[in-house]
Amino acid sequence: MTVEVGVASVNREVLRRQIQAKYRDVAVHPEAGFHFHTGRPLAQMLGYADAVVDGLPAGTVDSFAGTGNPFLFGALAPGETVVDVGAGAGFDTLIAAQQVGPAGQVIAVDMTPEMREKLVQSAASLALSNISVREGYAEALPVPDQIADVVISNGVINLCPDKQQVLRELYRVLKPGGRIQVGDILVHTPVPPEAKDDIELWSG
Amino acid sequence: MVGFTDIVLSHEVDVFSGSKHESDAAEFETRGVTVRARKPATT
Repeated sequence: MTVEVGVASVNREVLRRQIQAKYRDVAVHPEAGFHFHTGRPLAQMLGYADAVVDGLPAGTVDSFAGTGNPFLFGALAPGETVVDVGAGAGFDTLIAAQQVGPAGQVIAVDMTPEMREKLVQSAASLALSNISVREGYAEALPVPDQIADVVISNGVINLCPDKQQVLRELYRVLKPGGRIQVGDILVHTPVPPEAKDDIELWSG
Repeated sequence: MVGFTDIVLSHEVDVFSGSKHESDAAEFETRGVTVRARKPATT
């Protein structure tokens, strides 16, 4: 069965500003409480091993927001090149960087300055030098063609109005034979157009 | 048309249960999931 994925008509710039504001709060005030789960309780819900979470800076863990676990299908291999789309404070980025090791690299892309700043600090605190943090959007990744062995992402694509363009970008940056390991959401009940146009529902 | 292949979905997780977003998420039966898929080696 083929299901067409349309482009939501919501104002893209307004949506981006609202999502940036929300995730700025997750970066700077993770203790504030949000309409979605965050931090260690969420990581446990999603099946991250306690030992892995324990190895991350507390601030990174506190600002974790996601809907899946890109490592559920197994650890990444040493030497692999990873692109983390919507990396946020870097919870998955840091895990990936540890798994691929110094022979590998992780390119972490996020649109929110406070998240990128937190990720840079966290990578430095763990002395991880194989992470490149870049400003960008999932629909236009600042990444060359066919560079990635694996693309990871977690709870980001559902926030993008043009999901087909995001998928085209993931495909573009992957090497032939490369893979995506992406956490996101499924809806089992169709979302009506008026709900798709409700920015509050998008950003929570 | 070439696209992703070898698509595998994880078990679903009720990631909004107990959150402030629970009622909206429940309305659309929203679940968290992880997807693995592959770009063909030859395109």
